[in-house]
Amino acid sequence: MAFKKKPMQRKKRFNTGIREQSQCRFCREKIDYVDYKDIPTLSKLLTNRGKIFSRKRSGNCASCQRKVKFAIKRARYMSLLPYSL
Amino acid sequence: MGTIGKRVYEALFLMDTAMAAADWDGTLKVIETVLSRGEAEILSIRKWDERKLAYDIDGKGRGTYILVYFRMDTQKVTVVERAIWLSEKIMRVMILRTDRMTQADMDRPTPIVLAETMPAGVDGVPAGIAPSAPSAPMAPMAPAAPSPN
Ligand SMILES: [Zn+2]
Repeated sequence: MAFKKKPMQRKKRFNTGIREQSQCRFCREKIDYVDYKDIPTLSKLLTNRGKIFSRKRSGNCASCQRKVKFAIKRARYMSLLPYSL
Repeated sequence: MGTIGKRVYEALFLMDTAMAAADWDGTLKVIETVLSRGEAEILSIRKWDERKLAYDIDGKGRGTYILVYFRMDTQKVTVVERAIWLSEKIMRVMILRTDRMTQADMDRPTPIVLAETMPAGVDGVPAGIAPSAPSAPMAPMAPAAPSPN
């Protein structure tokens, strides 16, 4: 044969080592109130067009995603974050 | 009438940077006057930050944020809000109840304090990035605005 066949890759096993995170980032840090003035935290949850990341993308639970949503909207009203870019 | 009594509120005022720089005491006075309409007891008043706005308001690209905590009769909030709407010196305001906040939330250092204590490169303010990015394409629109500065 002209080329070597790649050795069969072993199937990745997700269950060893890394555990999927069971809580969202705010729950993990026991944050009860999401501050709209905390721009460094909120801007991590925005796309570069200024849109809010989906829950799936940010990994937030329903209640934290809701808190984040309101915080971002407040920050936008105060011109701390853009409505769109 | 429901006598809920008094509550502690947090308010973030957005003021014109030019005015705040020229007359800081006068700027605070504007806020104090407005709050006095509701007979508010001011617990703390401090500069939160002076930064570029994410979008222009009243043709201004920069603003000074002032953070106030005050205790006030719950019935007076609408009175104060109306006074704020009528004031042309206040660009924006956000008044929130503090019942969900912890003391740590309220004592959190303001960006301006963080910028002073930390060496220049690290401060989170420019790291906010997103807001500053659009400034370049928007620049051509600016000429109308800069006059107040
Ligand atoms: Zn959560």
